[in-house]
Amino acid sequence: MMRLIAFLLLLAVPVLGVWTFVTAADNNWWFPPAYSTFAPDIDWLFDFIMYMVAFTFVVTEVALAWFVLKYSAKRHDKGVFTHGSHKLEMIWTAIPAVALLVIAFTQMETFANIKFASGFPTQGRFTREKPIAQVWASQFDWRVRYPGDDGVLGTVDDLEAAYEFVVPVNEDVVFELRSRDVIHSWFVPEFRLKQDALPGHTIPVWFNATKEGSYDLVCAELCGWGHYKMSGRVRVVSAQEFEAYQADLKAKWFSNGKE
Amino acid sequence: MRIRIRPLALAGLAALGACQLDLASEPQTPTVHYALSPRTTEVDAEGEPIVAPATQEHIAGSLAMLFGSPANPRFLRTSEWVDDGFDPNWPTYAVGDDGSGEFDEDELAALQSDNRRDFARELAAIEAGEFERVRIPSWLPDLAGAWSAHLASKPADQRDEEFKTEAARLLVEFYPTLRDSAELYRQQCLHCHGTEGGGDGPTSRFLNPRPRDYRRGIFKFTAQKDKSVPTRADLYTILDEGVTGTAMPSFRRFSKAEIHGLVDYVRLLSMRGMVEHDLVTTVTNDDVLSAETVLESYAGVWEKWNKAPEKWTEVASEVPAPTRESIERGRTLFMDAATGNCFSCHGAEGRGDGASAFTTVPETGEILPAYKDDWGNEIIPRNLRQGIFRGGRRPIDIYYRVKNGINGTPMPAAVSSMTDEDIWALVHYVGALSEQPRTRANRAAAHGANQHGNGQHGDSQSGDSPSGGGSGH
Ligand code: HEC
Ligand code: HEC
Repeated sequence: MMRLIAFLLLLAVPVLGVWTFVTAADNNWWFPPAYSTFAPDIDWLFDFIMYMVAFTFVVTEVALAWFVLKYSAKRHDKGVFTHGSHKLEMIWTAIPAVALLVIAFTQMETFANIKFASGFPTQGRFTREKPIAQVWASQFDWRVRYPGDDGVLGTVDDLEAAYEFVVPVNEDVVFELRSRDVIHSWFVPEFRLKQDALPGHTIPVWFNATKEGSYDLVCAELCGWGHYKMSGRVRVVSAQEFEAYQADLKAKWFSNGKE
Repeated sequence: MRIRIRPLALAGLAALGACQLDLASEPQTPTVHYALSPRTTEVDAEGEPIVAPATQEHIAGSLAMLFGSPANPRFLRTSEWVDDGFDPNWPTYAVGDDGSGEFDEDELAALQSDNRRDFARELAAIEAGEFERVRIPSWLPDLAGAWSAHLASKPADQRDEEFKTEAARLLVEFYPTLRDSAELYRQQCLHCHGTEGGGDGPTSRFLNPRPRDYRRGIFKFTAQKDKSVPTRADLYTILDEGVTGTAMPSFRRFSKAEIHGLVDYVRLLSMRGMVEHDLVTTVTNDDVLSAETVLESYAGVWEKWNKAPEKWTEVASEVPAPTRESIERGRTLFMDAATGNCFSCHGAEGRGDGASAFTTVPETGEILPAYKDDWGNEIIPRNLRQGIFRGGRRPIDIYYRVKNGINGTPMPAAVSSMTDEDIWALVHYVGALSEQPRTRANRAAAHGANQHGNGQHGDSQSGDSPSGGGSGH
């Protein structure tokens, strides 16, 4: 009886594992939709690594089960002491090393494109020199500072907004990420983009959003007791709406208090 | 081995079951009462209460009559208000329709369009006739009650178009009751601001500046003259924008109606505190606290809040753009002891290190803040070079601060000899103090300054050049 229960429990692990995997998409447990130009690359890398790991998992589990059965006490009554096999150790060091190298080389281009200076957009309206905005992280909210009419950040005509970062759709957007206090991390799951904000650093970040909408901006670095509620939004709008938003912000900024 | 497994598994199952039970039951809101303020319950040197316990009880009872309890907050309607058709509990209805009529048509339309956005998913479900998919947020108990009542009013097979329209109307015309807002306050604000709004929630001990104690009716960042209580718009702005550079966050993720509801509730807590303060300071122990005294104080406090719009700082001109002259003039005023006198607190360079703001302990040579704010906490003038303005960085925000001072703090209102032009000049100068244009030349300069170890400029770290991509290092 106990044996049967133990067997069923053990069996439940792979069965549940496979079941979650198969039904994940229907239950909305999978990734949110991918809405930036480089998001498909990230997803491809994710799948690539996942299938690699899944393959390894199955092979090692089968080997494990096979050993358990083959060397059960019924068939062998006594173990033999061994110093191990040099050859085997070479193999199981070499294979993962190669696998890691493969992963490293495969992801290099994508990583460079997203994070390296060489990957940053140089054409377009927004570049490293002329970022769309500065995004400030602080315990526990997000604030956005747009350069205003003169296009230069840090001047009195800068426009500021709490909570929401508005960007144009289908356009390369470069912003500067800053932190006021501790380490935070800027994460928009739909864009597959995550970047730590370090106090004292101004970190350029770029993306190109492919679909209009409003997406959750969350903090992905445990930053203190209020970390869980450090939320914001990134609203992706058409180019005209972006201009209109800037104009609204400007009107509000230079209002004399009467609307 | 065999014997050991079973109790363990059983215990595990039992624990799991217990968790599930816990999850299934409704979160329990303890029936709390508003406590009296420390001022009311103060004891003298002998440990005797200053206000007689019987009087304290009387005050607590009166306040409960006027403002209800945290589980059921409401404003008492005096008989006069009933006759006038004025109900302070319903700001969205016009006076005469039993409301206080604080919203005009445009504002009501804005509220409704925001409700449509906020409840978009629910409204789509209603449109599709899938009523069971409608989820009312946990912080809106009265709306949830109204929704269940609506569902119960017709069995599932008789729900027609009219039923749908009514259902949608509940959400589109939604405005939180004080009970809804108290629940949202409990979830979002209480841990900092406390049950009574005394700024003494459990988190408050770790914060500097401390969360606001509303009970004095003193608010810092308003557009109000003469230390008046704030307008609804002032409080709305604070909740919408947060207070930059402090623990007070922006609550823009809630709908307009919900934020207005929080404003209602902050007003209730503030008025409650003001009435309590009134009663404690006017009543001596021999007096019996009469109903007239209580109602008079209540009416007096309401008068202050109702008249708040009259104390609004009107700015007739457009916001002027800074010029070299205006900034120069601002600097002169900043440094002039007879007019601006800002340097005495904020320091000649605006770094918040002015001579009058600190005292030195003669024995130890220790330097301590010289000022306390109205709540008894030590306070130092702002370093104006960091570009962090708690009450907002817009020119008009800084104008209000300079013109009216900051209520509750030593920061004084502008002396009467200062003209509007003078104040704008100061605004321009303050703006220029924190200006750090991020041009290439400037970045290079900041970089140079850093290398010479001269990093005290508020923002000097921005001399960055992440040549290998930001995260590379
Ligand atoms: C993390 C703690 C925290 C939370 C949560 C919080 N506040 Fe505050 N709040 C503060 C602090 C700190 C200040 C004081 C800022 C200052 O003095 O500069 C403040 C100030 C205020 C003020 C006064 C602003 C003024 O002009 O004087 C109001 C009103 C206010 N909070 C309302 C709320 C409401 C309503 C909520 C819930 C929706 C809330 N706060 C949640 C910390 C908090
Ligand atoms: C008696 C001392 C004192 C004087 C004089 C004084 N201030 Fe202040 N000021 C303060 C204090 C204290 C604060 C910080 C208040 C707080 O923490 O909320 C402050 C804050 C400020 C702020 C920041 C407001 C914000 O939103 O964060 C500005 C701007 C400012 N002062 C400008 C001025 C100007 C301009 C003058 C001269 C006309 C002046 N101050 C004179 C004490 C003073």
